[in-house]
Amino acid sequence: MSTAVSTARPRSISLDGKLRIAIGVLSLVGIGIGGYLTYTHYAGLHVLCLSSGGCETVQHSRYSKLGGVPVATLGLAGYIGILISLWIRGELGRALGFGLALVGFLFSMYLTYREAFTIHAYCQWCLGSATVMTLLAILTAIRMLSFEAAPAAPRKPVSRAERRRQMAGRR
Amino acid sequence: MASRTKQKEEARARRLEEERARAERARRDRRLRTVGAIIIGAIIVVGVLIVVSSGGKKGGLQTGTEASATATTVNALLAGIPQSGATLGNPKAPVTMTYFGDYECPICQEFTLQGGFPQLVQNDVRQGKVKVVYKSFCTATCNGPGQTVFNNQQVAGLAAGKQNRFWQYTELFYHEQGQEDTAYANEAYLTGLARQISGLNLSTWQSDRGNSSLAAQVASDESDAHTIGVTGTPTLVFQGPKGQAAASAAVPSYSQLEQAVKQVS
Repeated sequence: MSTAVSTARPRSISLDGKLRIAIGVLSLVGIGIGGYLTYTHYAGLHVLCLSSGGCETVQHSRYSKLGGVPVATLGLAGYIGILISLWIRGELGRALGFGLALVGFLFSMYLTYREAFTIHAYCQWCLGSATVMTLLAILTAIRMLSFEAAPAAPRKPVSRAERRRQMAGRR
Repeated sequence: MASRTKQKEEARARRLEEERARAERARRDRRLRTVGAIIIGAIIVVGVLIVVSSGGKKGGLQTGTEASATATTVNALLAGIPQSGATLGNPKAPVTMTYFGDYECPICQEFTLQGGFPQLVQNDVRQGKVKVVYKSFCTATCNGPGQTVFNNQQVAGLAAGKQNRFWQYTELFYHEQGQEDTAYANEAYLTGLARQISGLNLSTWQSDRGNSSLAAQVASDESDAHTIGVTGTPTLVFQGPKGQAAASAAVPSYSQLEQAVKQVS
């Protein structure tokens, strides 16, 4: 009795592949949060909130807008940008994703500080978004630092006879 | 001979290794420079965003022609509409809209000045279909200067209400609302608003501010808000022959207000 042994190696996802999947999923979660808050803002609806009035208080504070644009909408644009960066090849895509996530993370920290020390109320949606942005900043930083640029094509060894021929051709 | 070839090969291998190490170092340095540039760029961008976010909003007590223009707008809106205390409109109007608000709340300002409220006053309140009762509920003020400031400013409004000018005071406060979480609503500000109300007896207004029944009214409004589960401002509750309804939006448009009015009429 013979046993068929598969010689095919199991397909494994590279570190970059895993990071791209995680960043993609987190960006979609962020798009969900930003999209919901943007929709409720422009539709003039109340935000679903677990705590008593925290979301309303934060949403109605002056920190909920930046230059007349709801910060939730800016967050939504940031998440979409990070998602798009996954399809841009090479260092540019990684740098763009990292840059957007870092800006989002730093601004989320500022808004969380305002929630704690100025508004004295917390909005779960905002805290959720801040958590997602923090994770995105970490993952995009890892992706940026682990980037291995394609090595330059090795120079072909040139034999002495070949070099002589090249020199003769130049004369 | 063989050892010479071997030496050459070793030297070549060493050279290649050094070249590889140099290339690797250059790549690492370039990447670190890129990361550094991104971090510096992100800090600059966020710095600008923070400056824009916390930048001073125009507002505060108006003077001169600006104050006159605001007073004209407010008088045009309210002229001819009966007032009694914090109630605007015909006391026998079939529908009552109770407006839970905070003078320092920017969304209340948005609703009062730009939302559906001015149209509701011009149409339904003026025609005697709806009356508006303002009840105070501390939100933005309590997140900033605190309950004492809140009580003081609400009592100032109610004192104007003793002369049937509560809504002039309220409208002027929203028109001249200052920057949230600053202590702008001081004595000079509150008195400055009162001075802008034509026909208000200032000394009577000042003495009425000490009336304990007004402070009790503020406490009673707060208690009413807690009883019906108000959590934010503005909260609008409609009461009419067909029962009770709440506004479907935080800053409802006129059509959304109309919808709520029809629901209870």
